[in-house]
Amino acid sequence: MVLKQHLGLLASGSVVALFCLFGFIAPFVDYSAQDAVNQRERQFCPPLFLDATPQQSKTCPKPTGSFFGTDHLGREVGIRLFKGIQAVFFPGCLAALLAIFIGGLLGAVGGYGRGIFRGATLGFIRIIDTLPRMVFLILICTIFRPSITLIALVAGILSIPTVATVVRDKVERLASEDYILAYIAHGFRPVKILLYHILWLQCRSLLIRQASFIFGYIVFIEAALCYLGDYGVQEPDPSWGNMIAQAKSYALMSTWPWLFPSLAAMITIAAFMAFGNVVANRDEVVKR
Amino acid sequence: MNRLVGFAGVVSKRVASAMALLVGASSIIYLTVRMAPGNAVDAITPMGTPEDIKQQLAVDFGLNEGPIIGYFSWLSRAIQGDLGDSLVVAMGSRVVDEALPAYWITLRLSAVALLACLFIAFLAALATSHHQRRSGLIAAPIYFVTTIPSFIMAVFLIHGINSFVRYNVSPDVIFTLDWYALGQPSDSIVPTLIGGLALVLSDGLFVDYLNALRAELIKLKTSQFIMSVRSRGASIWPHIIRNLWVPLVAGYAARLPLVLSSVVIVEKIFGIEGAGFLLIEAAKVRDLPMVVGVSLLFTMTIIAVDLLASIVRIVTDPREVARGA
Repeated sequence: MVLKQHLGLLASGSVVALFCLFGFIAPFVDYSAQDAVNQRERQFCPPLFLDATPQQSKTCPKPTGSFFGTDHLGREVGIRLFKGIQAVFFPGCLAALLAIFIGGLLGAVGGYGRGIFRGATLGFIRIIDTLPRMVFLILICTIFRPSITLIALVAGILSIPTVATVVRDKVERLASEDYILAYIAHGFRPVKILLYHILWLQCRSLLIRQASFIFGYIVFIEAALCYLGDYGVQEPDPSWGNMIAQAKSYALMSTWPWLFPSLAAMITIAAFMAFGNVVANRDEVVKR
Repeated sequence: MNRLVGFAGVVSKRVASAMALLVGASSIIYLTVRMAPGNAVDAITPMGTPEDIKQQLAVDFGLNEGPIIGYFSWLSRAIQGDLGDSLVVAMGSRVVDEALPAYWITLRLSAVALLACLFIAFLAALATSHHQRRSGLIAAPIYFVTTIPSFIMAVFLIHGINSFVRYNVSPDVIFTLDWYALGQPSDSIVPTLIGGLALVLSDGLFVDYLNALRAELIKLKTSQFIMSVRSRGASIWPHIIRNLWVPLVAGYAARLPLVLSSVVIVEKIFGIEGAGFLLIEAAKVRDLPMVVGVSLLFTMTIIAVDLLASIVRIVTDPREVARGA
């Protein structure tokens, strides 16, 4: 019964925890041997759990025993999947922190402030929200030299309105609550009420949820932009997006070079979305 | 008379707000172009662009003037339909002439996909609204499948179709993920239909609509006024539909930006030659007037649909006029 209650948190939390763990340790792992190009002997070696077709036996005379198989250049898909996390982990953290910090502050000012501050904040949020995200990211990649850090930075800025709107709604509701009015009557400083009593104590779970969504969005946007125009992480550095983009020409020869990164991206995005929702819902239930 | 004045006041407020949004969003697009590193004209043109075309581009984007004057001269030309000439994709022809027909394809695809998604979600919400709790066994798989990102969904669909054709129809065919077994949109409507299906099934669009409509339906069905209608023995559906209309319209307008982002990916993967396809092709060869023109069209659509949805809400819901915002 307890397991059933916490199944969502356990499943999504373990994927998120693994992703974060791999993201931290991936830069310190030496993988040059597994990532070496060896087209003649290791091209399209099948994963451990699949038998090689006659065509694959020709391109891969000595199976490597790699769990996820090898790609068109003989590099191990598994190790590239692992290193691919590194490509999006820190940019994802950057985007999430940026959106949470600025979006949280703008939402708080928009919900709690009055007069010109409120008007200017809400206007800014609406203008950014009007920009079509994918189209604007492609425009940025056309004008500037595209890199995953730049993409994450811009995606983070474009996510500010989502965070700000959610926070503003919550702050507006809380601002007229009796206990907040009591703090004001006791002479607490408005900055302290806003930052500590409202944002930190009441909006924490909302911000965690939004951070989780933005992280999932960065994984998605990196994969999509790599596929559409080589805008993300550049070869030979692996990322899930450029693995799918590289494998698209060899879809008939082998499925695993594009299938595993696609599945990894899909499961990671779903886990981040579910984790954000579960954490926020549990927090709401505890508060009630 | 009073109602008419109130109505005109609210509509004019919304139109003014939409104009302000257009100026704000287009100024961000313009400033992004001006922020190009080094010499802006060199940075935004492809290698080997002749000097006279560079000069024309500088005039088109107001790069020889200050940012404010340059912006307003660029915006006034853009509003009059002059978005400059394409540099590479359709060399020499006007951006508007190329982008508008393609944009019509994109708009049709995204609008119809969104409408279909809303309709299916509405039916599903109707079917499930009499249960206060959803069955986890059904909800969890639906949630998982429909929250797959549009990009991954499109890749899975195209690979599934190609594999089906190879193993069931034409075994000799050699495919890549770039290739599409069912032909290009000029040959048939099938790619557009499957592209639309990818849009409907992905990005959590269906689940978002379903949850929102279901919650609204349950709230309405348990509300006091519906109970009084029920107690009189009258049909509750005219009242429910009338009250559900507002969240339906608001939901449609709110989700359009998301679909307009996904449609770029879907068009590229399925080879549908709409504005998203044109945008990617133009971005690859740094055809900036085309990229900026298409970006502006997308932005204008989002603002226009938001304005239109506001006006529809004001016309159909008198409470909007009473709120006055």
